[in-house]
Amino acid sequence: MNDFAPAIIAALVISLMGGALSVFVVLKRLAFIGQGISHAAFGGVGIALVLGVYSSTMMGAIGQLGIVVAFSILAALWIAALTRTHHGRADTAIGVVLSASMALGFVLFTVAESGHAHDETGAAEHQDGHHLIEEILFGNILDTDWPRASIAIVVAIVILAIVWFIRRRLLFWAFDEPVVDAFGLSAKGLTNLFLVLLALAIVMAMQIAGVVLAAAMLVLPGAAALNLSARLKPVFMYSILIAVGGAALGMFIGIERSYPIGPTIVLTQSVMYLVTLAAKFTPGRSS
Amino acid sequence: MPLSEHPLSPQPAVEIDHVSYTYPARGFDVLPVPAIENVHFTIDQSTKLGILGPNGGGKSTLIKLILGIIKPTTGTIRVFGQAPAQARQNGLIGYLPQRIEADRSCPISIEQVVGLARACHTKPWKKLTQGDQAAIDRAIELVDLQALATHPIGALSGGQLQRVMIARAIANNPKLLVLDEPTVGVDIAGQQRFGQLIETLHKELDLTVIVVSHDMRAIAAVADRVACLSRSLHFHAAPDGLTPAVLAQVFAHDVAGVFGDIHIDAHLADGCDDPSHAHQHQHDCGCDEKGAES
Repeated sequence: MNDFAPAIIAALVISLMGGALSVFVVLKRLAFIGQGISHAAFGGVGIALVLGVYSSTMMGAIGQLGIVVAFSILAALWIAALTRTHHGRADTAIGVVLSASMALGFVLFTVAESGHAHDETGAAEHQDGHHLIEEILFGNILDTDWPRASIAIVVAIVILAIVWFIRRRLLFWAFDEPVVDAFGLSAKGLTNLFLVLLALAIVMAMQIAGVVLAAAMLVLPGAAALNLSARLKPVFMYSILIAVGGAALGMFIGIERSYPIGPTIVLTQSVMYLVTLAAKFTPGRSS
Repeated sequence: MPLSEHPLSPQPAVEIDHVSYTYPARGFDVLPVPAIENVHFTIDQSTKLGILGPNGGGKSTLIKLILGIIKPTTGTIRVFGQAPAQARQNGLIGYLPQRIEADRSCPISIEQVVGLARACHTKPWKKLTQGDQAAIDRAIELVDLQALATHPIGALSGGQLQRVMIARAIANNPKLLVLDEPTVGVDIAGQQRFGQLIETLHKELDLTVIVVSHDMRAIAAVADRVACLSRSLHFHAAPDGLTPAVLAQVFAHDVAGVFGDIHIDAHLADGCDDPSHAHQHQHDCGCDEKGAES
């Protein structure tokens, strides 16, 4: 169990961050922009592999993370810019960026593999391709060691601190973006800033739940919390509780039963969401 | 030189100096669209100016220009002597949007909505002070929502939500209040209540008010002066009332069919189909207009 300590702590801190951000993600209807960003990260992994940056060493892990973070942030800003050119509709933007990045990722994976088939030392370092793809798609938090966990924890805390710092501006933006400029703030600036934070958060969540499910951790807790209350502080409190509680319970079940951890956490949070939905439609409940 | 109703007043609220704005071309097939052309007028402090015009007449563009969200293609605008964007940053301009697009599922209270606007002009790391809280309370009191101040906005009626938005618009003690199509879809009684509320704010806060609408009644409920905007500013100084002929010119279709026999107070609207009226009666009007001929 001790081997899992860094993984468990990292997962809990990342979930806490997910809980706080997810309220904004749900209010701003960014769930699918989150999906777009996380899938775009796959292209970033492909680039890292072609450049010969592997997560098998510590420096490699940092390098890979840097490349994936940079790629995801670019994808997020690209989605934001395309959304603006499509009159505020994000679906086309996500469709373009998600597909292009996924396709790029798969092509680069193949390029990297064929390149290393001829390279003895590279092949030795290289992880099994299919295993690697699965890990990227669905996450592999239990392999996390202390150095990697510390990076995730620091990034998560920095994101939380920034969100706390500008919470009132973010809330104004989430509540009524069309008038943000008229009140002396910049809607474009706030959107871009939040999407950069979201991209960073998603790359962190990918370590738990992978490309496919990372965005869920940035949607489910907020969606569940908004079923429970129409007041600000309780919503954030519930969201964080559901995020951290769901992650803890999901990890416990996953480790006990040897289920994949990321999908088990997402499943647990999904069940919690369904329970809150039932609570929302229970007669006699006052909001 | 702007002529003004109050020659001693130190500074006009808004000076619009030969302003044109053209939306840029897009793609291969969307040509540049001129939205307003050579608009030139001055709005004195403490007046309530209605800007009447058809859809597509450039009203929203003019609002964006006054708020400093877009910059004129040619000409200059000053708001209380400052560049509009600066005036907006300084909290001098309050704004009520046309459609309330705010997210009603957002878990915040009336007090918090008004507080967020107040916080726009506070450094993000600073807490709201007692002075801020007093301003928030006053804004809510002025729109008569103090009994609901801590209620979540999701439970409010449309009219109450609009009053929240008005409270938000005055949260920073602006000197200019811009109302964009404020009473679309509101019945006449509702428009009159809205007009009374704006009148109260105008008196209490010594506000200059600009109300923009395609709806004569909406303008009548709020404004004591009228200008007509249909790409260029047509007129706004005549004592004989806004005649159907004048309105038809602005709206470019048969107005009687649209407005019926609506009564317009003579002091309220100024027929200016003859541009010379504009010059004859400038002193009747809080705003001096020189773009009429264009």
